[in-house]
Amino acid sequence: MELRRTLRNLDWWLILATLMLMTYGLVLIYSAIHTFVVETGRSWHMWRQMIFMAVSIIVAAFSLRFDYRMLKNYTKQLYIVNLVLLIVVMLFGHAQLGAQRWIQIGPLSFQPSEFSKIILIICLAAFIEKRLEWLETFKDYLPVFAYVLVPFILVMRQPDLGTSLTFIAILLGMIFISGFKYKWFLGLGVTFLALMPVFWRVLKDYQKNRIRVFLDPELDPFGSGYHVIQSKIAVGSGGLFGKGWLEGTQSQLNFLPENHTDFIFAVAGEEFGFVGTILLILLYLIIIWRGIVIALNADDDFGTLLAIGITSMFMFHIVINIGMTIGIMPVTGVPLPFLSYGVSSLLTNVGLIALLLNIKVQDQRLQF
Amino acid sequence: MLNRCHMSRLRSMFLLCILLFAVLVGRIAYLQLWRSEYYAEQSDENRLRQSRIIAPRGLILDSSGRELVNNLPGYAVALQKQRSYNSDLLERLSVLLEMPVDDIKEKITASANYSDPALLKSNLSTEQLTKIEEQRRNMPYYVMLEIRPIRNYVYNDLAVHALGYVGEVSEYEIEHGLFKNATLGSIVGKAGLEKSYDSILRGEDGTLAEEVDVAGNVVRHHNAMHPTPGKNLQLTINFDLQMEMEKFIDAHLWSLRASGKAPDAYAAAMVAIDPRNGAVRALISRPNYNPNLFVQGISSKDWNNINNNPDYPMSNRVIEGEYPPGSTFKIVTGSAAFELNKVTLYERIYDGGYHPLVPTMGNAGGEVLGWLSFVSGLAQSDNVYFYELSYRTGIDNIAKYARIYGFGEPTGIDLDDESKGLVASRQVKKELWNEEWRLGDTFNAAIGQGFNLATPLQLAVMLGCVANGGIKYQPYLVEKILNPDGSDFTKPKRAEGKHIDVSQQTLDYMQLGMSATTREGGTAYYFDALPKKIAGKTGTAENSHGRDHGLFVAYGPLEDPELVVVAVVERGGFGSISAGPIVYKCFEEYFREKSETPADGKENGK
Repeated sequence: MELRRTLRNLDWWLILATLMLMTYGLVLIYSAIHTFVVETGRSWHMWRQMIFMAVSIIVAAFSLRFDYRMLKNYTKQLYIVNLVLLIVVMLFGHAQLGAQRWIQIGPLSFQPSEFSKIILIICLAAFIEKRLEWLETFKDYLPVFAYVLVPFILVMRQPDLGTSLTFIAILLGMIFISGFKYKWFLGLGVTFLALMPVFWRVLKDYQKNRIRVFLDPELDPFGSGYHVIQSKIAVGSGGLFGKGWLEGTQSQLNFLPENHTDFIFAVAGEEFGFVGTILLILLYLIIIWRGIVIALNADDDFGTLLAIGITSMFMFHIVINIGMTIGIMPVTGVPLPFLSYGVSSLLTNVGLIALLLNIKVQDQRLQF
Repeated sequence: MLNRCHMSRLRSMFLLCILLFAVLVGRIAYLQLWRSEYYAEQSDENRLRQSRIIAPRGLILDSSGRELVNNLPGYAVALQKQRSYNSDLLERLSVLLEMPVDDIKEKITASANYSDPALLKSNLSTEQLTKIEEQRRNMPYYVMLEIRPIRNYVYNDLAVHALGYVGEVSEYEIEHGLFKNATLGSIVGKAGLEKSYDSILRGEDGTLAEEVDVAGNVVRHHNAMHPTPGKNLQLTINFDLQMEMEKFIDAHLWSLRASGKAPDAYAAAMVAIDPRNGAVRALISRPNYNPNLFVQGISSKDWNNINNNPDYPMSNRVIEGEYPPGSTFKIVTGSAAFELNKVTLYERIYDGGYHPLVPTMGNAGGEVLGWLSFVSGLAQSDNVYFYELSYRTGIDNIAKYARIYGFGEPTGIDLDDESKGLVASRQVKKELWNEEWRLGDTFNAAIGQGFNLATPLQLAVMLGCVANGGIKYQPYLVEKILNPDGSDFTKPKRAEGKHIDVSQQTLDYMQLGMSATTREGGTAYYFDALPKKIAGKTGTAENSHGRDHGLFVAYGPLEDPELVVVAVVERGGFGSISAGPIVYKCFEEYFREKSETPADGKENGK
């Protein structure tokens, strides 16, 4: 039986960790919006998140019937769809928090830049795989950079620093595995540092501020530094065991802004303490571990590149988001995978997990 | 196909991920394990707001329980500590509160070191209150409207020098610990009983801890610590007597000026004490001021009015005014002579208009009164007679008896800033002028001139000793301290009356001489018109800056003294004309009231 074999080949570690993270996320979102729900009596956040969770899981399960390799045939179309989506956002998206990122479809608003992450991973994996044989000199990599540069610039223009940096993380992960030389990395690093002043000029004022304030949050304790000061207080005051579910004063009394989206890690830290945050880190570690194992065992280079792209993206999101919450990374609007409230990122993340599962399933299938 | 070498890069990648996770865990452990207490505090600081509940200040009542000082409800605007303040907001507050932005900023800066909110303005007018209430919704949460009782002096300037006034504690006073437990914005006593009994009147402010959300909405109340209201003071002051005398003195000073008898009689002092215990029944000093002006935060115009008055309305002349006691000092000289057996009651001494040993010194106006015994000498206030007594007793003994009667030392009344006066002696002259003592100095001292200086209250204490048979009581203003509900709490500690080292016989002679003063032939014969007999003594203190100060001291009724009255009119001329009528009026009023309310007499007689 095909189904039975598929089930046996599933990466249960990955599935378990993902489901636990999503459950953890629901618990945290419930707490984060608790005050809002009590005050307004509107609880649609929870329903929306749960419905999309269920839907995404069903779609993910269904997607295992297909072979991920057939995606290679659609990369051109996907790449164009991606560009169109990003241009549409730029032209018609509505602004929120100073950035044009959202597209309204009926009652739902989507963040196309989330989906463009998954598209970029697929397209870039296919693009590199096709060229693997010729990637020998630095010059050979230039088309790869150019391939990423176009969507990168579009996202930058929104402006969405978080997503554009995610693109870079994905790119770095994939070229690393395809044999990009260490000295070239070094060269890129030096060039980047040298070009810092130029980048600085390209950055929007609020982005510059975020970086300034990252270096010293006290510069603007009631503006952009406020988030970090408050999230550090939330995490730190949680102590070993936390203040208890729905008992976090930082979160429940609204001292912690964006506590159901970008700063949800602080809710975990405040209400469940060190125990709760370590559990969270362990679950993420499982995802990363399985991602790399799947990359290692992938049947073909496309699978390996895909798995590495996905793992890089997760890793980047986790480190940047948690790092920002605990004050060691600048504030960039990067959601925490499976925990932050938001349909677009939820769908993207479940989609990426489905891809990882698919790679494993196909790989095992061959061995039989 | 990716080669093996590239596959090994997966392992490096995994190691890098582990490393990054380790950094995260390390940082999380630092925040949640190492620094958790600090952040727990920060989080409490976020959500807990302490606000102060001002304790209502104790009332001040007269001897019969009439409220002299109470509190009115008042509102104040305060700003909670913020790291920064919106300058628009400060502008708006400046307009609403009618105070310059710089003043607001100054208040904020001044309060920076204290946890309490910065008090911007207390005692809002009704209009200001309404405006603030209207606009408060559009203001940040840290603009606070506080209820603050306002001190209210019911009869305005009545007994102001006894009561004093209150004001906001100054930074200087906090830094120097002048008021216990006072923090910025505390209302403390600045003068009078308000100051000397501040710790009792002030009570203890309470605190209210509220849990607030980020918008400052109160989520729940925590452990409110209720304020302890201040205790009430019941005074010895008799409202009716005080009131009548205040009115009389104003009218009397006016008529002295208007009649031309004393054209610059603006300053005066009067004190009435009970010789049986030292209780002060009335205390008046002129010029005076309205303490309510200070409560409202005194305007510069009012302040200049007070401050530029050459007669210092703020000074309480009863305890701060140092005057040459003049002829009232003859009681001391007489006492010393009798105690040391230098004279007998019936010995006659000849007044030829001057003393033979110092011919330049004689009576005022060069009068010659002939042969005089002690009683007629005192009654007619003869100088030559007392020169002779002082010649016999010597300055050292006169100084000794002056000290026995309480000169040269504060009386110990329950007010701050009491002067101690000065007793003429060899050392004093040496210290002040570096000159040897001469007989003329002794003569001057004998009649209360020269170096001698005394406060009206010291004169009252001296006279109390004569009236009560030689017991020196510490004068006091606070009869007892009451709980806020009006029940007795305690009596302030007072020194017990001390027997002075003067024999009853000597005191009897003094009484005899003083009772002759207020009869026909005495310098204050008009006291005969009073329903009861009074003993008194006039005094005229030489004033190098102008017209002499007039003094009068008296006690009565003669047989069983209940009241000692001392009055001084600065630049009033002869004591019998300027100060005498005040004392007369005081006794008249006292007896009238007593006859109307006999119950009072019993109470006073305890």
